[in-house]
Amino acid sequence: MPELTVERLVKRYGQTLAVDDLSFAVDSGVVTGFLGPNGSGKSTTMRALLGLVQPTSGSALVLGKPFSELTHPVRTVGASLDAKDVHPGRSGRSHLRTLAAAAGLPSSRVDEVLDMTELTPAQDRRVKGYSMGMRQRLALAAALLGDPRILMLDEPANGLDPQGMRWLRDILRALAAEGRAVLISSHVLSEVEQTVDEVVVIGAGRLVMQGSLADLVTRDQRPSLVRSPRASELRELLESAGASVSNDGRPDTLLVQDATMEQIGTLAAEHGIALFELTRSVTTLEDRFLELTGEGGHVR
Amino acid sequence: MNILRSEFLKLISVRTTWLLLGAMILIEGTVAGLLAGLGEKKDLRPANVPDLLIGTPLSILFVFTLGALISTNEFRHGTANSTFLITPKRERVIAAKLVVGFVVGLVAALEYVAVNAGLGLSILSSRDVTVNSDQAVDIYVGVGIGFILICLFGVALGAVVRNQVAAIVGGLALFLALRGTLTLFIGDEVGRYFPAESLLGLQGNPKGKALLLDQVDGGLVLAGYCLLLTVAGMIVTRKREIT
Repeated sequence: MPELTVERLVKRYGQTLAVDDLSFAVDSGVVTGFLGPNGSGKSTTMRALLGLVQPTSGSALVLGKPFSELTHPVRTVGASLDAKDVHPGRSGRSHLRTLAAAAGLPSSRVDEVLDMTELTPAQDRRVKGYSMGMRQRLALAAALLGDPRILMLDEPANGLDPQGMRWLRDILRALAAEGRAVLISSHVLSEVEQTVDEVVVIGAGRLVMQGSLADLVTRDQRPSLVRSPRASELRELLESAGASVSNDGRPDTLLVQDATMEQIGTLAAEHGIALFELTRSVTTLEDRFLELTGEGGHVR
Repeated sequence: MNILRSEFLKLISVRTTWLLLGAMILIEGTVAGLLAGLGEKKDLRPANVPDLLIGTPLSILFVFTLGALISTNEFRHGTANSTFLITPKRERVIAAKLVVGFVVGLVAALEYVAVNAGLGLSILSSRDVTVNSDQAVDIYVGVGIGFILICLFGVALGAVVRNQVAAIVGGLALFLALRGTLTLFIGDEVGRYFPAESLLGLQGNPKGKALLLDQVDGGLVLAGYCLLLTVAGMIVTRKREIT
């Protein structure tokens, strides 16, 4: 059974349809990226999974149950929804102690998660003096208090510098390697690209795709770029062979689809046509994401 | 018990709690000392003594504010997310906050009596001003219970109105604006059941107004308001979307 299951989830706020018939599942042992532009419904979906908002219809289940029916919620799901969700007047340690107390966890667990997130030196400082990176670490520390089997983090890399992102990437992959299900949401794709194994992409509250990161980052769907002094002649030959050819704006350059690079090179050689460039552009996650969800930025 | 421990930790781990309680001591002590120590002894009639014993309404406002903060801080600072994730049965959180509110009100009551009796009464005694001890006890008990109920009122109102500013301003409006304003139109017969009037009755009717509830009835009415707000707060909190 998947750790998290969203089935035909619909969430409406008045006239606004935040989530529109969304279905996906999250398994253990992998880091799943929950991707979408700002306002696409990621946070709403996570809140529905955590029982903080009620679905209009459909379901959002943890281990097959609504969150409110979990026997040990803290030990099952650790979540961080916003790194700013902390009283600025408390120290990092005090904040974690209030959560640990409510969860029935010993103070020693607070020390452990502070150590895991490298916050021990700053534990007695008031949170208002923390950097954004420190707040993100504190949020992760809070999520780890119950040593949960499932981690859900909403935009955990927001505000992190490259060093912080690397640290986050390493710790999330380590947690997934321990067999946990890790779901992280993001609209900043470059940070996710090196962290996740699986992706769920949504746009305007609807599922756009779910699969492995490799499925998302494709190679063969993008055209080949060919540069030749006899481009128009080569174009006729390629189109006769069944390829789709277009210009990229330069007179000596063609964009070719429905033909492999080997086929293009062979055809050119058979007709004595010199090639100055023959490359396959690699789709990045960013390109693919924008392609799937429309131009980046807010959906609503 | 876990939730209770957590709620007490939340209270004592922020400076605002200590600042408000400390400000109460300062204000109560200053007012009690000034009222008792200054002025001509011949102007100090027995009818004025209850005013001294009741102290300043500012303390009531501080205690109410503390109560409202106990509830509304969760939404003001976003900690409601983690609070309700750890304790999905949200009524337990409200119940724990009410217990904390009770303790805060009790501490405020003891603080008030210590300062007011310790400073005010002792100064009056040194000036040979007679204070009716039975009256003083009645008033101290009434004011003390009033602090507890007002703090609970703040906690419960904060559970209903999650916005911190709205809860505090709304509560103040209930006590300050309603008082006297509506009673002009409605009359004392009904007006004595309003929150501020019932509190005055509980405190022992310091101004000797003709139509106020007695201390027991005043306390029961105020407790009734707290109970209504508590029920409303629990219902609202259970159904509330945490966004």
